[in-house]
Amino acid sequence: MKKRVLSLSLAFVLLASLLAGCGSKSATWKVTCPWAPSGVAAMVSQKAAAKSTEYSQDITLVAEAVKGDAATVNTWIMGTEANDTELVFAGEGLLSITSILDPAKLQFTYEDFVFVENLYSSVFVLSADAKLDIKSVADLKAYVEDGNEISVAVNGAMGSEAFLAAALFGSMGAGEKLKLTPYQSAAEAAQAVAKGETNFAVSHQSQILETYQQGGVTIVCAFDQDDITAGPFEGVEGVGKHGYPFFRNRCFIMARAGTDADKVSALKELYGKILADKEVAEWLQETMLLEVDTMSVEDVEDHIENVKNIVNEYKDIVAG
Amino acid sequence: MLEFIGPASGLLFTLENIFWINIGVFIGSVFAAIPGLTVILCVILFLPLTYQMTAIPGMMFLLGIYCAGGYGGSVSAILINTPGTPHAAATMLDGHPLSKQGRTKAALKIALYASTFGGIFSALMLLFLGPQVARVAAQLGTAEYFMVCLFGLTIIAGVSGKSMIKGIISACIGLLLSCIGTDPMTGYDRLTFGVGRLYMGLDLAVCLIGLFALVEILAKAELKPDALRLDAKKMEDNGVITKEEYKRIARPVLLSSIIGSLVGIIPGTGASEASWFSYNTAKNMSKHPEEFGHGSVEGIAAAEAANNAVTGATLIPLLTLGIPGDGTVAIMLSALMINGLNPGLSLFTTDGDIMYAIMLGLILVNLFMLLQGKFLTRLFAKVVSIPQEILTPVIVIFCFAGAYSVNKNYFDVAVALVFAIIAWVLRKLDMPAVPILLGMVLGNMTETNFRRALHISDGNPSIFFSSIYCIIFLVLIVVAVGTIVRGKLNERKAAQAAGKEH
Repeated sequence: MKKRVLSLSLAFVLLASLLAGCGSKSATWKVTCPWAPSGVAAMVSQKAAAKSTEYSQDITLVAEAVKGDAATVNTWIMGTEANDTELVFAGEGLLSITSILDPAKLQFTYEDFVFVENLYSSVFVLSADAKLDIKSVADLKAYVEDGNEISVAVNGAMGSEAFLAAALFGSMGAGEKLKLTPYQSAAEAAQAVAKGETNFAVSHQSQILETYQQGGVTIVCAFDQDDITAGPFEGVEGVGKHGYPFFRNRCFIMARAGTDADKVSALKELYGKILADKEVAEWLQETMLLEVDTMSVEDVEDHIENVKNIVNEYKDIVAG
Repeated sequence: MLEFIGPASGLLFTLENIFWINIGVFIGSVFAAIPGLTVILCVILFLPLTYQMTAIPGMMFLLGIYCAGGYGGSVSAILINTPGTPHAAATMLDGHPLSKQGRTKAALKIALYASTFGGIFSALMLLFLGPQVARVAAQLGTAEYFMVCLFGLTIIAGVSGKSMIKGIISACIGLLLSCIGTDPMTGYDRLTFGVGRLYMGLDLAVCLIGLFALVEILAKAELKPDALRLDAKKMEDNGVITKEEYKRIARPVLLSSIIGSLVGIIPGTGASEASWFSYNTAKNMSKHPEEFGHGSVEGIAAAEAANNAVTGATLIPLLTLGIPGDGTVAIMLSALMINGLNPGLSLFTTDGDIMYAIMLGLILVNLFMLLQGKFLTRLFAKVVSIPQEILTPVIVIFCFAGAYSVNKNYFDVAVALVFAIIAWVLRKLDMPAVPILLGMVLGNMTETNFRRALHISDGNPSIFFSSIYCIIFLVLIVVAVGTIVRGKLNERKAAQAAGKEH
């Protein structure tokens, strides 16, 4: 008898706990970051997830990082359908670079997603060995025109940094002289300039900050339209105003194609509120030198197209 | 250093960290106490769990396992004359005879105190020496790093087992496996055979589950059940250590801690070498060398202090240069890197608060090991007699759950199974698995630095002899290989001699 009462009580508790969730209107959206759990995207995603309950009673974001890049996104695509409460990150690396250089790696295209919001923007900078004393685009042009050696440290052999370097020096007419030296992390690439292994490095602002503060490098220019307006690199001039090609690093939050428009707009609204939070914006700027940069679908498509154009034009310099 | 101690203490002394340290120490003690279950197996099984944690609790958990493993091996060595871990073999020579004299508790206590002292001594070495070595490491360029990697590969000489040739073949397999994935210098795929998930390379944790954990299960399946049953002796003595004995063990404990720390810094040498070397030194310096092998308190203290003094010191080359001192810490490197903590000076500057928290945490780990050892040794002793028929299925579940949880993918479970079969075949051929692990850990780093250095110098190999650091590492490589080979010969002689006396 005792055992029966115990079993019934246990079954009742289990049933009650199952039913407890049924009355709730809140939908939990799992946000998969296909890069390292310690990386910038994963950290910002965690922050957004923590803030989601503060701004919405209907949507709860749960951040998850499963490193694997295209492989993780491939798995995500195969495992999801329209209206699944799942989101994934994609950036220009997957949508513009890999899609051209190694399309076999991707089991998806941009059409398999529906854009929700851009999580952040990061402006890359070009740094130079402090001994060269190159502090502006004019100095750089003079250095290139003098026929000096151009070796650039980049993170990864065919990443965004490599294409930005190729685009800048290629459009200055020095593509053939350019020697790209790939490193396995952005931090390593940044340190390579200070150690004198290369003359230049392309990196995120936060990755070169420590080396810059130690006096090992000078910051030449930013890969953006205009000058940097805030942070330790305020005043560094953008290559865009000199007519050189550029793009920012962005992190697009995507839902599965076919997801109802009202769900997508509710998610966009939530991310909009989180990113408009002053604390979040300050945290992004101060800890990682990132910017809040909310975008429309048209902006995203322009960005992808712009990067694709750069990749197509300079892929011979990068891929050899 | 002082500027980091305050923030580091704040990060370290949290309930979460204390919890994970204690869980790690407990699990490590239990695993090491059971003959056949090794510390490396334990770290591999629980590594995927740390992927869900932040850096400090994750490392505290693994360090808890690692340090307690140093002590736990002595429990079965003393109780049943079977070392729970290979490095507890020297402890067994005097621990079990002392136990047979009816002083089991005293033997366990000496092992615990000596282990704790050795562990704390080594942690302090890491705390004071680590940042200095890191400062030198920050000056190293690509060519110098290649020499460092070559130096790291000398570890293979130390972990090759009986045959150096077989060790080198295993290491080459590891190096080949490290080539799977995207070529770091060109971005093109290598050895992926069109398998999508392979282009990111093989996940170390998944491979290790197959190489070290699942293969153990296959090996156990080949044994007769009777051979697996073990019995623990009862601990009925009062465990008193006399003042005279405390005085006698003080010198060997201190000396062995120094020896253990120095041995730990050299990649390729580990706790086994340290404990045998210290045991012999203690015997040579003792006023009662005739007691060694017959229940000498100095013998137990020397061996145990030395094998735990390796734990902190072996982290010095790992945290500063990325060179693992032994197989277990090679695995810990993944736990650090998954949290974005890359070995080098930045670990002691930019991430200084986290790193100092980990280094201070190592002292805490040893203190909790002392506490658990004092109050739970009776339990650890009982664990020795758990039937393998119960343990084995539990480990199998951990293996598969662990392999799946790394990337939440069944592909990884298949990879673990393939590696288990490979490891089983290699075991049949008497080829060691640890060099494969080292090849996989160091392969990518060695290759990338070699090719990048040649890229920087436009193909001129003189870049590898261009700086004083390159020359220093060349000399170190020669010295290390010589020392390891000589040490292995001495170790073999000492073991044979001790075996005869025993």
